[in-house]
Amino acid sequence: MSEGILTDVLIAVSLTLVLAGAAIVVFVRRPARQAVALSAYGVLLTVLFLVLQAPDVALSQVAVGSAVVPLIVVLAIRKVESIHANAGSRDAEREH
Amino acid sequence: MTYYAYFVAGAVMLLGIAGLATSRNLVHAVVCLSVAQSATYILLIAVGYQSGAVAPIFGAQTGRDTPVVDPVVQALALTDIVVSAAVTSMLLALVVQMAKRRRVVDPDHLGPLEG
Repeated sequence: MSEGILTDVLIAVSLTLVLAGAAIVVFVRRPARQAVALSAYGVLLTVLFLVLQAPDVALSQVAVGSAVVPLIVVLAIRKVESIHANAGSRDAEREH
Repeated sequence: MTYYAYFVAGAVMLLGIAGLATSRNLVHAVVCLSVAQSATYILLIAVGYQSGAVAPIFGAQTGRDTPVVDPVVQALALTDIVVSAAVTSMLLALVVQMAKRRRVVDPDHLGPLEG
């Protein structure tokens, strides 16, 4: 009986953490910081899936959600910033 | 407890949509979309969960009489995670192309669509 209550408390705590993590990921405005927040959110989701007795889903979530997708986001941010820097230098050359 | 899980799934979905609607940066918008999709993982896993059941891995400890959680929705959630990664990477590739051609990452500064 007490074990069931403990499991319920664990599930409630991890669900609350996931909700807070989602709010943080959405309300962080700078994309570079948002990628870090997304990685932490992936770890929180992994903990939730482990508590909800889904270990294989947790495995794929920790690989995809906290490593691969934030890495892709960071790569996209760097690419966009380099494009903007090149465009800015080209505009400066045109003005000369 | 199950209702709280459904509430959290709905709230995460609404948070993701709100971030998508108020986004000032296309990369930020794509990440908000992936947050909105993560609500579906929570919903799927919560639908299949039973209190007192163990993970659906059958072995020496877990036999036919042991209550296990539903493995079908877990497989669906796994598929959902992979699809979400694919969608995110494709949309980010589109954002990079948009930055190359239009030099904008703010959705409000995008002009009308050109065929």
